[in-house]
Amino acid sequence: MIPLLTGITFITFSLSKGLPGDPVFSMVGERSSPEIIEKIRKEIGADKGIIRQYAGYVTLLSRGELGRSYYTNRKVVDELSRKLPNTLLLAIAAMAIAVPLGILFGFFAALQKGRATDKIITILSASGISMPVFWSGLLLMLLFSLRLKMLPPSGTGDLRYLVLPAITLSLPALATLIRVTRVTVIDVMDMQFIRTARAKGLTETAINAIHIMKNALIPVITVVGLEFGSYLNGAVLTETIFGWDGIGRYAMEGIIKRDYPVIMGCLLIGTIVFVLMNLIVDIIYHYIDPRVRLHGTDR
Amino acid sequence: MIRKRPLGLAKRAEIRLFSLIISFFLVLCLLACSSHDRIAGYVHYRINYNPTTLDPAMIVDVTGGLIAAKIFNGLVRLDENLEIIPDLAASWDVSRDRKTYTFHLRRDVRFTNSRTISAADVKYSFERILDPGGKSPNTWVLDKISGAKAFLKGERSEVSGIKVTGPYTIQINLEEPFSPFLYLLTMTAAYVVPVEEVKKWGEDFASHPIGSGPFRLTEWKHNNHLLLERNEDYFGGMALTKGLRYRIIPEDLTAITEFELGNLDSISVPASEYRRIMKRDTGNNLVSSMEGINTYYLGFNCSRPPFDDIKARKAVAHAIDRKMILETFYEGRGRLAHGPIPHILRRWDAPVPPDYDPAYARRLVNAAGLKGKKIQLYVTADPEVVDIAEIIQAYLGSAGLSVIIQQLEWSSYKAALNDGEADMFWISWWADYPDPENFLFPLFHSSNHGPSGNRTRYTNKAVDALIEAGQKSSSREKRDHYYRAAERAIIEDVPWVFFWHKTDITIRQATLRNYRMYPIYSIDKGLEVSF
Repeated sequence: MIPLLTGITFITFSLSKGLPGDPVFSMVGERSSPEIIEKIRKEIGADKGIIRQYAGYVTLLSRGELGRSYYTNRKVVDELSRKLPNTLLLAIAAMAIAVPLGILFGFFAALQKGRATDKIITILSASGISMPVFWSGLLLMLLFSLRLKMLPPSGTGDLRYLVLPAITLSLPALATLIRVTRVTVIDVMDMQFIRTARAKGLTETAINAIHIMKNALIPVITVVGLEFGSYLNGAVLTETIFGWDGIGRYAMEGIIKRDYPVIMGCLLIGTIVFVLMNLIVDIIYHYIDPRVRLHGTDR
Repeated sequence: MIRKRPLGLAKRAEIRLFSLIISFFLVLCLLACSSHDRIAGYVHYRINYNPTTLDPAMIVDVTGGLIAAKIFNGLVRLDENLEIIPDLAASWDVSRDRKTYTFHLRRDVRFTNSRTISAADVKYSFERILDPGGKSPNTWVLDKISGAKAFLKGERSEVSGIKVTGPYTIQINLEEPFSPFLYLLTMTAAYVVPVEEVKKWGEDFASHPIGSGPFRLTEWKHNNHLLLERNEDYFGGMALTKGLRYRIIPEDLTAITEFELGNLDSISVPASEYRRIMKRDTGNNLVSSMEGINTYYLGFNCSRPPFDDIKARKAVAHAIDRKMILETFYEGRGRLAHGPIPHILRRWDAPVPPDYDPAYARRLVNAAGLKGKKIQLYVTADPEVVDIAEIIQAYLGSAGLSVIIQQLEWSSYKAALNDGEADMFWISWWADYPDPENFLFPLFHSSNHGPSGNRTRYTNKAVDALIEAGQKSSSREKRDHYYRAAERAIIEDVPWVFFWHKTDITIRQATLRNYRMYPIYSIDKGLEVSF
């Protein structure tokens, strides 16, 4: 983990510093003298060479700090610790919608393979993947907020505020999960061991639940892990449309304004989250798929 | 024995699926109480972005400025007619040489932490801006004070031109007479802050601002909202509303939805909704508009070819039908500019800028040897600006110029402009204070090339001299005489194509009373608005 983080921070640090644009120009507003620009550049350490800047950042990290935003002067750690729970809540809520519904619809479509219901589900899931969230989000807002007056259109707060962004964010994952589940279930259904199970006289429910589902879950878990990992890094569009105070918006603002401490902070958290998610997915594999169990654990 | 025929697998799954969907929507309905999101007695406004900071020393954005205006006070402020009126200072005297200003402070003003404001607080606040160890980008607001530059360089321990002559009297000496000096004191950077709170909060004062204004900040949920509660001890009388709530809503359509639901009391009308809202408002008078103190322009890089040649600049100016763009694309949401200075600030006859004359433009293109030459037009990624750039590209194309649009995000765009990379660029200038000088000195004086404001790198010693003479003049008539001459010379040199002065348009709820728009954000103290 440590070598990975060092590598990632160094690469992104160098890349972001290599981008055109200078945060100082945005910090000073529309009217500032070259002396003030130089002074501020010095204050934020931008006058030093890139290696020295990176060394400074690593020293900061070793003290458990992430620095302060150039613009707001607020501690990046505080901001992240406030936004991360929001992002986590939104990601969990979106997955809580996408995972059960995705598996269920996908399974159902596979059972109905070739029939009208399957075709409808397939078309809907294809549109779900193709539909950008800024469009689906606005449609949901128009329906549930403006027309039905059921939910507030924007803000970060209790459960009421969570419903619309969670549904919006869940749609692409839901559509992907339906497709992946459908394909894998169809694959598994044709396999030899399912015919064996049927020949053994097992009920359809037992075959579905134990044999088909368990085997079909492996690629599904990979998708869930990846989608969840990316949601935890923030969903810029959904957060912007619904005014949700999450990591995505924070990182985006940081990038636009070249607010390096913010960019690096978000990136660091993002990397940790991604690595952890992959680890969790691997552990789950271990329980579901005997083939990936480490040698010796079965003894 | 009759056996029930078992339901088919597919049928059973179908029923389960159907009941699941139904229960999902039932849960949704249970969760969903209402779309209502208001705090009783508070006026609800929208702001597009989270203010970067509320520390007056650091604020450079309008959003931060308009909220700081409710929390803090300066020595003087602007009234709705853009005249200087007393704020913390009850009165002031100006010496005959117009270099010394003596302010007599009110004795009844307290910060919201209950401490009375004295002249020492003013000195502290001003020196804080100029602090050599500080990061304030607003030093230019106060650097006309004598000794300010030496203090800024760390050569002196205090600013010699700021003298506390009594507990409630402060004297400010300028290096040279500077006619808009009082206007500078209306700006955010000149607000007075309490030393003990700045020390207590340190860098976090930016999120915990304490001033003497009609409101105090009680809650700031970043990227969500700011709550300002009225200060019942405010020396200027208590606000009519219990408080103000600023909701941070980046997306225009979301803001419109919030307004339609009654969750916002007033919003600025986004361009995409302008026609629909104007149509709907017929007869209701809920839409207000105010010509802003700003100028939108196409700037030329006058320091290098091809636009160091006046013929090339004139060719572009004559090739574009600004009026047509304003009336059609911009739907009349502005007033055609006659020069750099907005109409509101110009106290003389409007000058005549180059008119639309495509045939003459083509001749000039040939004369300047520009035919077929590639010209870079730099713009930001704002979709409206990109559209305008494409319109300009089409006009210039018909005049024989080949324009390449370079679209950059804000930070890179500013860096490119400051470094003089662009041949042409689209940008606007908004007033810091309502004086023609603010549209001349930073934008056209040769000492301000690049980040100081003069991004066209325009240089004309005669114009420099006229602007400087205006800055030092004693009477308004004399100032106007110089500014008028400077503006005329600038128009003749065509460093910009002057487009328009944008009009701000807002819509309010019928329940909101005494709502007014102001041409400069700092005028609105939030005292009058009510339900």
